[in-house]
Amino acid sequence: MLALHGTAGSQAGLHRAWKLVRSWQTPDGSSRPSGQVEGGTWITAHTVTLASVRGVYDDQVRRSVDWMLSVVGAEHNMLMRTAAFFHLLKTTLDVSHAGWPWREGNAAWIEPTVHTLVALKKVRAEYRSSELESRVREGEAMVLSRRCTDGGWNCGNPGVLNFDLPSYPETTGLALVGLQGRSAAELAGPLAVARRFRQETKSSLAKAWLTIALRCHGDHPAELPGENKVPTDVMLAALEALGHPDGNYRLFGTGGVA
Amino acid sequence: MTRRQFIPLAGIAATASYASIKLQKPPKLPDGPAGNSAVAIVRARSYSEDLVSRMLQGARECGLDARGKRVLLKPNLVEFESSTVINTDATIIAAAVELFHRLGAAEVRIGEGPGHRRDTLDLADDARYRYTIPQFDSIFTDLNRDDVSPVTGFANERKFYFPNTVLGADLIVSLAKMKTHHWAGATLSMKNLFGLVPGAIYGWPKNKLHYIGIPQSVAALSRHFRNTFAIVDGVVGMEGNGPIQGTPKPAGVLVMGRDLVAVDSTCCRIMGIDPEKVEYLRLAADLGHVHPGRIEQRGESIASVQTNFALIEEFSGLRLA
Repeated sequence: MLALHGTAGSQAGLHRAWKLVRSWQTPDGSSRPSGQVEGGTWITAHTVTLASVRGVYDDQVRRSVDWMLSVVGAEHNMLMRTAAFFHLLKTTLDVSHAGWPWREGNAAWIEPTVHTLVALKKVRAEYRSSELESRVREGEAMVLSRRCTDGGWNCGNPGVLNFDLPSYPETTGLALVGLQGRSAAELAGPLAVARRFRQETKSSLAKAWLTIALRCHGDHPAELPGENKVPTDVMLAALEALGHPDGNYRLFGTGGVA
Repeated sequence: MTRRQFIPLAGIAATASYASIKLQKPPKLPDGPAGNSAVAIVRARSYSEDLVSRMLQGARECGLDARGKRVLLKPNLVEFESSTVINTDATIIAAAVELFHRLGAAEVRIGEGPGHRRDTLDLADDARYRYTIPQFDSIFTDLNRDDVSPVTGFANERKFYFPNTVLGADLIVSLAKMKTHHWAGATLSMKNLFGLVPGAIYGWPKNKLHYIGIPQSVAALSRHFRNTFAIVDGVVGMEGNGPIQGTPKPAGVLVMGRDLVAVDSTCCRIMGIDPEKVEYLRLAADLGHVHPGRIEQRGESIASVQTNFALIEEFSGLRLA
């Protein structure tokens, strides 16, 4: 829906899709990933981003924002923070910062945190609150704290049992989308890693997220050989369209410094 | 109390509790189901051998009947790193496709939902699945993004969602890799079933399973999916800091059987791990056989192929006496 937004002839289809997505909202404000699945998930962040893009800021969106503000990664509880203080965790996670989980009641990871950061930053002007600003700052701090020693990001776990874990291209791209607004000096290293990943990775999905991330940060990455091959599925086609120089990558834009 | 004062005291308390746990004899395992379980150990020293014949031999020894069944092959496709052997080798999967066609399966599909990586086909590309396995793209389903349906009774969850490709299979074949694992001790045919859980619903990683508990989830998956068969790729396994950062360990075997508990117990013994100390096997001991007296070893003997896999310090206590 983001990829097609504003394109000729897509309005009626997008309107139907938007109605369908809205019908999946649950009473607590979260969104279900489909009509077949009960209970809201990380998808809620996407519906809020879509709402913002469509200029919809009603009570239904408000409930989604409230739900996102109420959800915290389960590793951020007192027990885990105490265990981390005494170095009793097997992982090298910094659990002092609150991020967002894929599903309520689970730990926070990079991807759901990034999508929620984008959504909250996009609606911050409409739903002003100190709580929202605090969660955005905490979410960014969580993402920054989960950076791998090689300079990028994986799912959100930089190490286990004193072994460093490697970063992935796609999650490095995603993390940078969520960190828009941070200072150039702070992101110079990660952006360099992202540029290198984009040159090296074979993954079309990773290339697409890295392209979107670099464009959101003001880069104008050159087209890579083989980038015009026909995408293998709808999600990939949408991400590649979003990352095109004339694409809707700007819809992930979240404005100035937090 | 300051942190500096607390840490030594906590250390002493933890050591005392650990020692008392170690001195306690673990509770007796349940007897398991009636009858014995057949597990075949087939020698395969390299991936260039005639693996289809080897697997046919193992399948016959286990009495496998796949006629008319819709078979789902579930490899262990996790991440790719050219310097080590994280994934089920592509030649094993290609041979399994051929095996089940020869055994008269109505349909043979391959399905996997990697726990960390989003781009499953790219991962399959790196692992050479798309080059080695004929018509891979047309028989493969990314289980992370498949349509799902709810099931009840999984791990005390009111509803849990699984991919329709998994729920529609008559026989799920766990094509696992023989590896050590930094959370579970070992990852074999039962832990491999984590890839049946859809990432689109439960995330990357499938964190819901971590909150249920890794051993508990491994046991619950085996409890729920009883229509399974195991083929463990131990031609070259992984030792040390598995399942991703360990080092290659040639064991030169395929381990096959219908009782996944017995297959994993046998693999553990081959790797020099005491299966009775592996928590997920203890939790699943009512589903299959851990005790060697209840496992009918077909093909090679354990003693003839046994080779100790290096264990990280955390799991040194699992070493078979």
